[in-house]
Amino acid sequence: MTFNLNQSIEGRVWKFGNSIETDAINPYYHYPTMEEMKLHTMEAYRPEFAKEVKFGDILVAGTNFGCGSSRPGLVLREVGIAAIVVESVSRLFLRNSIARAIPIFLAPGILDLVEDGETLRVDYAGSHVVNVKTNKQLKIRKFPPMIEKIFEIGGLPEFAYARFQKENPGSNV
Amino acid sequence: MNQTFAEKLFSRKNLQGEPVSAGDVIEAKIDGAMLHYHANEPLYDMALQAGFKNGMPRVWDPEKIFVLLDHHQPTLSLKQADENALIRKEVERLGIKNFHDSEPGIAHQMMLDYAYMRPGELVVGNDSHTISYGAINVGGNGITRADMFYALLYGELWFQVPESIKIILNGKNPNYPIAKDIILYLAGQYGDDFANSMSIEYSGTLSSQLSIDSRMCLSAHGVEVGAKLATFEFDNQVKDYLDSKTNIPYEPISADPNATYKNEISLNVDEMPFVIANPHQFGNVSPIDEASGIKVNQAQIGSCANGRYEDIEIAARVLKGRKIAKGMRFLISPASQSVYLKCLKNGLVETLIESGAQVITPGCGICQPKIGFISDKEVCITSTTRNFKGRKGSFNADIYLAGPLSVAYAALCGEIRNPTEILNDI
Repeated sequence: MTFNLNQSIEGRVWKFGNSIETDAINPYYHYPTMEEMKLHTMEAYRPEFAKEVKFGDILVAGTNFGCGSSRPGLVLREVGIAAIVVESVSRLFLRNSIARAIPIFLAPGILDLVEDGETLRVDYAGSHVVNVKTNKQLKIRKFPPMIEKIFEIGGLPEFAYARFQKENPGSNV
Repeated sequence: MNQTFAEKLFSRKNLQGEPVSAGDVIEAKIDGAMLHYHANEPLYDMALQAGFKNGMPRVWDPEKIFVLLDHHQPTLSLKQADENALIRKEVERLGIKNFHDSEPGIAHQMMLDYAYMRPGELVVGNDSHTISYGAINVGGNGITRADMFYALLYGELWFQVPESIKIILNGKNPNYPIAKDIILYLAGQYGDDFANSMSIEYSGTLSSQLSIDSRMCLSAHGVEVGAKLATFEFDNQVKDYLDSKTNIPYEPISADPNATYKNEISLNVDEMPFVIANPHQFGNVSPIDEASGIKVNQAQIGSCANGRYEDIEIAARVLKGRKIAKGMRFLISPASQSVYLKCLKNGLVETLIESGAQVITPGCGICQPKIGFISDKEVCITSTTRNFKGRKGSFNADIYLAGPLSVAYAALCGEIRNPTEILNDI
């Protein structure tokens, strides 16, 4: 799924704490299929989340988001999360989000900027996030150009396919 | 140049052929790629998603790809059997040479057992604990399944060269394993992300005394404190080990004396208490005395962190001629067939079974969990990798992480106790 980093995203905030692990995001031990996980994602921290989250909502979390195993956050996109904005992120969760073109933004200070249920606007082009109610804003980090390209094309497998086609013109595989 | 291990590694592997520094984003050539269970995703499913009509058209080097179906060996369901069958078919079609689908064990330990990675190499794996290869001076690096798809096709991958943190371990290595206590102690002191995206370099007078088993534990747990790499110096112990396993040449990496570190941490283990990670996070650590008296239903020794010979040997030493507590479920899972066989030949398995422990098939099952679930209000003490809420079954169960000596002593007592009480008797 391609993602245009420069399109601004505005949505209702779901707030979580520090060191949220990928087991909580993907409770696959109990619910091995995506359809089941969609009903139970994040229930270790907020049992109401999976039931009440709506398409276009934004997930805000503290430091070390997505720690633990190398599992991705695809289920969060499936339940409608339009952007993830965090104080800091575990490196594997960040790699996953880039490789699957899941919008994730690093905004140190985000936990103080916005409360649960408030509306946040992410403006990557303008390098900031804004609390729509208070109008307070914070800087977000820019990705290197190579990473922006991976987002643009829809993820790393898609990036790999495009490179293969370029290097092997006319191939029919 | 004054380069860290990470800067030297990525300078060596940089496709542009230029030296690099912390912060640079580069494309690097990889030396090996490890895939374990769910290998069907990068090997097949993602190829279709990306647009290849018949799956992956090729792999970059069939000799440098290692597929070890650890979590799902033996299979626990028809779905897993079907996945493994698909993987087997793709592995054959693509000509991948190193494939283990009929041997239970943890991929990371088998990579070591078979010397599939060597010092100075950049070896990636689609499992977070691939970082454990740093124990033998390998740039072991966990990546994601989608990264793996790219790596399989091209033998290349993007990286940001990490900043480095030096952990200086001093003191005397006792006659029982303390690696788990060391990393838990550090996580408790500095937080469970103190090395976020950084490269840990272990050094100090203790580091050179540590066995490869202990180094694998410390390197594996690099990921539990957020690290990208977690490496030890190359030394004679590693050389002797590799000499017995492989003729493939390699070139170890040693950081320059004046390399720049983001941070330095020192720990003298002589002054370190036995510690425990309380539920439900790795960094929620206290001296074990503070948990003393907590009743335990299940104890476990295993995983890529602590399923090695020395971890099982200390359990056998604690339990020799003794019986574990009544009703205690004590699960021990050797990290690989090779570890299992060594335990068996040296009589450890007999001692453990006589004590009432269960020795189960090598693999990831007791950590992940696939086997050994715990119920509401039950307590588990384990030397495996993680204690997240619900990881062993019920959300209302408590999981404590500790070293294998503390785990074995809890299995004996039926409750968490400070193992210094038994040190004179083992």
